[in-house]
Amino acid sequence: MRKFDLELGVGLFIIAGIVCLGYLSIKLGKMEIVGERGYEIYGLFSNTGGLNNGASVEIAGVNVGRVRSITLDNYQARVILNLPWSVKVQEDAIASIKTKGLIGEKYIEITPGGSEKIIKPGGRIRETQPAIDLEELISKYVFGKI
Amino acid sequence: MSVAYLFRSLVSLLLVVGVSVPVLAEEPTEQIKQTTDKILSVVKDPALKSPSKAQERKKLIRKAVGERFDWEEMARRSLGKYWAQRTAEEKKEFVPLFSELVERTYMSKVEDYSGEKVRYDGETKEGGYAVVKVDIITQKNKDIPVHYRLKKEKEGNEWLVYDVSIEGVSLVNNYRTQFNSIILQSSYENLVKRLKAKVALEGVTS
Repeated sequence: MRKFDLELGVGLFIIAGIVCLGYLSIKLGKMEIVGERGYEIYGLFSNTGGLNNGASVEIAGVNVGRVRSITLDNYQARVILNLPWSVKVQEDAIASIKTKGLIGEKYIEITPGGSEKIIKPGGRIRETQPAIDLEELISKYVFGKI
Repeated sequence: MSVAYLFRSLVSLLLVVGVSVPVLAEEPTEQIKQTTDKILSVVKDPALKSPSKAQERKKLIRKAVGERFDWEEMARRSLGKYWAQRTAEEKKEFVPLFSELVERTYMSKVEDYSGEKVRYDGETKEGGYAVVKVDIITQKNKDIPVHYRLKKEKEGNEWLVYDVSIEGVSLVNNYRTQFNSIILQSSYENLVKRLKAKVALEGVTS
């Protein structure tokens, strides 16, 4: 009887451990189990500058959503953004790819517009600004003078 | 045989004349090109180079730019969400002030023209919107990519510019972030005051 209690205790402990591990990996990996909430819009960028899946989408520096996927579409980057229902994006809002600090990670900043038209789920954010390639800019002024 | 051939060539001729000509006339690139050529002809005109003609030259450049730029749309987009809060009079005051600001900022660049070439790099059109890609090639062989974003007029075939991106940096986005932070920190009245001061100051130096 005593032996059975010990085994049960170890089993429960291990199950609790596995549950904790699962929770941690979902939390740290920023995965969603019940699917993404909110809605999606997309934008076409001429250069993402190495934007990653899962990068944050910010409005006024506040993290409001995430980059859902980045694919190539007619030699342009098609970036799908996932936003919560509470955040409405106007038709003339501008999405620009920015860098945290000088060499930090890339994220998408949306500057809200003033239009009354709101981008519908699945719609396109027309105004985009590609990542600024510092290296390219510098090389232009270093090697430009021939 | 020959009748069929004649008929076919007639049909294809009709197709070419009837379809492609009006399409060509309303191409956004074509219209950007017209405006650019107009400005270049003013800038290159030796008769307008003398200092006494400076005012006339400026006026001609301004007129050519004004025909292609939709200043109200640009001002509206630059003010962002604050545009809707303005009264009709405030809007009427803001649009010319904004166009003056942009014109004064870029006028010196246009006047310093020294043989730069313009290359047209294609366009994308979708719905009533278009992007015209242009490369400005300086004498030192540097390429400066400029993207004009245009919107088709509700009536007529004119495409009007509502945003310009140089090296990927959008003019409207630049002004939008600046205007928003000024309005948040102080007020719309203060923004207008600052714009007026800036326009008056630039007017003295140029």
